[in-house]
Amino acid sequence: MELSDDNLQILTEYLKKTLDPDPAIRRPAEKFLESVEGSQNYPLLLLTLLEKSQENVIKVCASVTFKNYIKRNWRIVGILVEDELNKICESDRIAIKANIVPLMLSSPEQIQKQLSDAISIIGREDFPQKWPDLLTEMVNRFQSGDFHVINGILRTAHSLFKRYRHEFKSNELWAEIKLVLDAFALPLTNLFKATIELCSTHANDASALKVLFSSLILIAKLFYSLNFQDLPEFFEDNMETWMTNFHSLLTLDNKLLQTDDEEEAGLLELLKSQICDNAALYAQKYDEEFQPYLPRFVTAIWNLLVTTGQEVKYDLLVSNAIQFLASVCERPHYKHLFEDQNTLTSICEKVIVPNMEFRAADEEAFEDNSEEYIRRDLEGSDIDTRRRAACDLVRGLCKFFEGPVTGIFSGYVNSMLQEYAKNPSVNWKHKDAAIYLVTSLASKAQTQKHGITQANELVNLTEFFVTHIQPDLKSANVNEFPVLKADGIKYIMIFRNQVPKEQLLVSIPLLINHLQAESIVVHTYAAHALERLFTMRGTNNTTLITAAEMAPFVEVLLTNLFKALTLPGSSENEYIMKAIMRSFSLLQESIIPYIPSVITQLTQKLLAVSKNPSKPHFNHYMFESICLSIRITCKANPDAVGSFEEALFMVFTEILQNDVQEFIPYVFQVMSLLLEMHKNEIPSSYMALFPHLLQPVLWERTGNIPPLVRLLQAYLERGANTIASAAADKIPGLLGVFQKLIASKANDHQGFYLLNSIIEHMPPGSVDQYRKQIFILLFQRLQNSKTTKFIKSFLVFINLYCIKYGALALQEIFDSIQPKMFGMVLEKIIIPEIQKVSGQVEKKICAVGITKILTECPPMMDTEYTKLWTPLLQALIGLFELPEDDTIPDEEHFIDIEDTPGYQTAFSQLAFAGKKEHDPVGQMVNNPRIHLAQSLHKLSTACPGRVPSMLSTSLNAEALQYLQGYLQAASVTLL
Amino acid sequence: MRRQRMEVSIELRKARKDEQILKRRNIANSLLDETLSLGEGKRNEGIIQLSLDEIVEAVNRSNPELQLQATQAIRRMLSTQNPPFNQIINLGIIPRLVEFLTYADNTSLQFEAAWALTNIASGTSVHTKAVVDEGAVPAFVSLLSSPHMHVSEQAVWALGNIAGDGPLFRDAVINCNVIPPLLALILKPPLFQVPILRNVTWTLSNLCRNKNPYPPLDAVKKILPVLVCLIEHEDRDVISDSCWAISYLTDGSNDRIQIVVDTGILPRLVELMGRPEAVVMTPALRAIGNVVTGTDEQTQAAIDAGVLGVLPHLLQHAKPSIQKEAAWLLSNIAAGPCQQIQQLITCGLLPPLVELLNKGDFKAQKEAVWAVANFVTGGTVEQVVELVQSGVLNPLLNLLLSKDNKTILIILDTISNLFLAAKQLGEVDRLCLLVEELGGLQKIEDLQTHDNIMIYRAALDIMEKYFSGEVQKLLDMVPSIASWHYKDGLVVNASTWELKGAV
Repeated sequence: MELSDDNLQILTEYLKKTLDPDPAIRRPAEKFLESVEGSQNYPLLLLTLLEKSQENVIKVCASVTFKNYIKRNWRIVGILVEDELNKICESDRIAIKANIVPLMLSSPEQIQKQLSDAISIIGREDFPQKWPDLLTEMVNRFQSGDFHVINGILRTAHSLFKRYRHEFKSNELWAEIKLVLDAFALPLTNLFKATIELCSTHANDASALKVLFSSLILIAKLFYSLNFQDLPEFFEDNMETWMTNFHSLLTLDNKLLQTDDEEEAGLLELLKSQICDNAALYAQKYDEEFQPYLPRFVTAIWNLLVTTGQEVKYDLLVSNAIQFLASVCERPHYKHLFEDQNTLTSICEKVIVPNMEFRAADEEAFEDNSEEYIRRDLEGSDIDTRRRAACDLVRGLCKFFEGPVTGIFSGYVNSMLQEYAKNPSVNWKHKDAAIYLVTSLASKAQTQKHGITQANELVNLTEFFVTHIQPDLKSANVNEFPVLKADGIKYIMIFRNQVPKEQLLVSIPLLINHLQAESIVVHTYAAHALERLFTMRGTNNTTLITAAEMAPFVEVLLTNLFKALTLPGSSENEYIMKAIMRSFSLLQESIIPYIPSVITQLTQKLLAVSKNPSKPHFNHYMFESICLSIRITCKANPDAVGSFEEALFMVFTEILQNDVQEFIPYVFQVMSLLLEMHKNEIPSSYMALFPHLLQPVLWERTGNIPPLVRLLQAYLERGANTIASAAADKIPGLLGVFQKLIASKANDHQGFYLLNSIIEHMPPGSVDQYRKQIFILLFQRLQNSKTTKFIKSFLVFINLYCIKYGALALQEIFDSIQPKMFGMVLEKIIIPEIQKVSGQVEKKICAVGITKILTECPPMMDTEYTKLWTPLLQALIGLFELPEDDTIPDEEHFIDIEDTPGYQTAFSQLAFAGKKEHDPVGQMVNNPRIHLAQSLHKLSTACPGRVPSMLSTSLNAEALQYLQGYLQAASVTLL
Repeated sequence: MRRQRMEVSIELRKARKDEQILKRRNIANSLLDETLSLGEGKRNEGIIQLSLDEIVEAVNRSNPELQLQATQAIRRMLSTQNPPFNQIINLGIIPRLVEFLTYADNTSLQFEAAWALTNIASGTSVHTKAVVDEGAVPAFVSLLSSPHMHVSEQAVWALGNIAGDGPLFRDAVINCNVIPPLLALILKPPLFQVPILRNVTWTLSNLCRNKNPYPPLDAVKKILPVLVCLIEHEDRDVISDSCWAISYLTDGSNDRIQIVVDTGILPRLVELMGRPEAVVMTPALRAIGNVVTGTDEQTQAAIDAGVLGVLPHLLQHAKPSIQKEAAWLLSNIAAGPCQQIQQLITCGLLPPLVELLNKGDFKAQKEAVWAVANFVTGGTVEQVVELVQSGVLNPLLNLLLSKDNKTILIILDTISNLFLAAKQLGEVDRLCLLVEELGGLQKIEDLQTHDNIMIYRAALDIMEKYFSGEVQKLLDMVPSIASWHYKDGLVVNASTWELKGAV
């Protein structure tokens, strides 16, 4: 492309079209621009346009297009022929680098930002080696005196240098930093000093101050980046200049810089927060050198906290400042800065208490944005909030001053409670703060699962609970003072391990009552608190609160829980649904009378949410609740399964027909559960569905595989004969699924689950014709990509086969594939690998299978396989007695990652649809060791003398000793 | 993993303040020196002021009196603050000064010239080179055998400065056969005079100093036995410089370390590590620190010499640099086999380690994190349990807030390893609980948004493996399979099978 006016014109037209809202115009224009990206001069044309175009919109558009072009193409990736990958020719690269800095600096801010981004992308690749002039060029501009230019430079420098904050130390990185420091540190320092002087000369000029403070913020950020990796010599030598100025900036205030906006932080706040970060960096990493300055900063930051208001715009500053104090006060050599009683009192009074107060903004969130409020408050995702910072400071101070701090706060708590008592409806926020203070003071360690696990012994939690928390919850009006109700419920929740059980029992009806509160936060907390109480462990691994203790409340609990789901804003409230699930699980058969109504409500809910599933947790707990209803009811009355099927199948069909992907894995699990409840043959309704389950499209989805395999296993368990007689034509399809699954390293075990069910349950005649092919497929996989997981499953399978069809049949099928194959399998797989099999049932299957090979397979006694007899016996004894071999070869460690195309749909396993472990050997063999002894005895009776002689020749002494133990235990001898 | 002393080719910080001095200038303008150089009768007479031109002229003349005056004037100029090295070098008089060194019949001139050259050699490498290039090294080596103690002492000093410049000049000095006359000085009557001993020891230490390349092996073997004696001396400075010398000799490959270990000097070094004087303790600590970067056997030798007994005290030393060095040493012992880890436990090193992690200087905390990481990697499950029981988890998790990316990553790796150990014990749930109680869960969660990709991945990995909610467990993932023969039922290609051995 020539750098011509014509081309500029053409490009202008296309750029204009890319802004068109109509995709029919926009898309082709975007395509065109992409197609000319590789042409020489294209970037220069863009630069010309963004500088010289008559229309502002084209300028901006060109700058954005240019930045994206640089982002996509500047970095040359890969190792192919360079020309194929490098879309930007060398002369363009040189021209861009030569022009971009002045161009950026002379552009209006909107375009400057784009170009500054482009410079940092180029810099990431080319700086410093391939762009040696950049630093000098930048530094020279510091002297321009034009702060529009200077800020452009500073912003670019910041985006170039900020990676020093997160990269690991390396020679390359440090070499670059050193280079930057040599060229940049002194000019930056001079600029810093000059800017501060200008701030005082322009102290009355608001617009000048704004520009200057923007510079100071960027300078402070650059300071952080340049000092992050280590303390540079230059900054150590100039610490006095920097720290003195930082310190005075912290104490500075200027009315002209105060903003009216309550939400957005102003320049002054941003600068001061960055300075707090800088001071914290030095205090942590360069303590030795920073020590002389630290006390001054502590005082300044503390004064800052005392004088800063409650508005949201100060949040970042305040939490950074408090975090700074928190990190310093736990250091032993700064203890003295805090230990004075007056200091402590003033920190508590002026820093901690005010920042624990419930603010207007919190109140707003409580009412209008409850979901966010709950997330922050319950799950602690409140980094940078004032309350969290204040709590951290309390904990920090408690490290050395637990007694005094508790004492000071107790006074505060009392006076705040008194304030509240004087006029609750006006002063309720005082009580909120008092509760928060007690909570933060008392909790030393906290977990989601258990609440507070260590409490400060100086706080009497139960007394506070009885005197101040329960009365609120007992009041008749559940909608009065919702914040205090939420506080009270939260108190129960987090101190549930400290408050005695009788108090918890008193609280339960109160909590149930609050499920009716209109406030989303209040009824959500009530549900969550109940759920947490129901999961507490008592003695003997039972729940602390028993079903019997809950008996009087069952009806009201269930009613209120389901009613809560109808309250505005809570129709898909996961906390309520989880509480429903947990209640079912706790109450067990006492819910049976309510099941008809419960299952109707759940089914309706299911139908409603399946239109647009959006709350994964809610949905999960809903399915869990359905499973629980089924299990609990059918345990007492197996025939009830029919009524569940009646209620659920209609919705399930709709879900399957509409292909609601999120729900299909759940539906399969519930169906498996229902199917397993049937004692007799498979009902015809299930058989009608069977062919559909084999559709390839279902198996393409990750999340479907485990539940589908589970469901097919249930079909085989209950209906193998029906399948063999009525759906024999589907057997190849079933085996096709098996073949697909074992081809995958991630899913081969699922394939074996299916295969094992086929072998175990299908009448032998129906699979005869496929048996050999199955083995060949397994060998194929063994040959191509053998993994430990595959071998383990393979071993279980062949032993199950041996149990089912006999050892001779096993030997014959191997040898029919290829002569001597059986010996090869014994020698190369079974004997060396059997130790790797894990799982009790799996090990039992292998033990019984191998016993059969040893004792019921004539070729083992009188062919060349005989030499493998003793090694096989030894391996079996090893399986009994040696620890499991859980080594996995290194290269296999990463299989799952490599084979995974991405985290698509994960399989969500339902805990309450759980499958009982199935033991195909079952009662046939109780004790495999005795079974071995008995089988050997039988063999030795059939051919006297052979067994002892084989044992004596090559079984090692230790194994022989174990074997003798088995024989004794079985009271048999070998002849 | 044992970590060698950090090889920093690029340093952002100021040079370390506790290093031994590489070069020293003689500015001791005491009366005694004046007496020695000026001889009788002139003690109190005014010093003759000469211009630079006069100096050049006088030096080049053959009048011994003028030569002495001029040389003295130069020496005086060089004995001030900020001496005019370049100016003097540019006068072109160094060759003459070197020549004066050979004037055996004019001791005063020899001495003044030696002094002046000593001070020039104390400058930058350029200055040192100016002296060496004029053939000063062999001249100074000859002076070592001068019958006049003050002359040979000055020669020792000059050679120390030259050798201290770097491996090149160090070897130039060694190659002039400096060692025999240098060692002879120690034995010169009156035996073991402290001032000369100090000088000789310092120069010896510079002959041992610097890597790339190391000093020649035969030189080391000649010097070592002498160091073994010197380190037993009672003078603090002699001991200090002997320790520095040993610390240089051990700062290298394992075979270099072995030569030192073989002398049996380790118990003495460990004893000196316990001394209160920093000048002695610092280099002794460095020397032992270097030894334990070696093989397991070498580390064991240090343990057998009693290093674990003095370490707790050093871990709590007031000086951060000592804490750091001690923690580094500890981390390298923790990198050893589990028998050595057991000795750490038995000797009570865990409480001070935890204390250091809790309250130490940040540089030392970083090393302590390495110690924990090594311990967890190499220790048995029982030992790891003991470590956790000693309270290591709380400070370790707190350090996740540190502003050092490498440290954060090592901690995350260590937490992963702790979970593996917990898995073996069936205690994963308890560890999860503990990590959450101590506020670690929140910190790990927060690290999932870290800008450093390795940190973010490590945090994510822990979250997914051990803290993923009750619900969304990522179970099996399926790869998309191109060849699924489902429609045709089973499809098998016959072939001959050859089973390979174990996986």
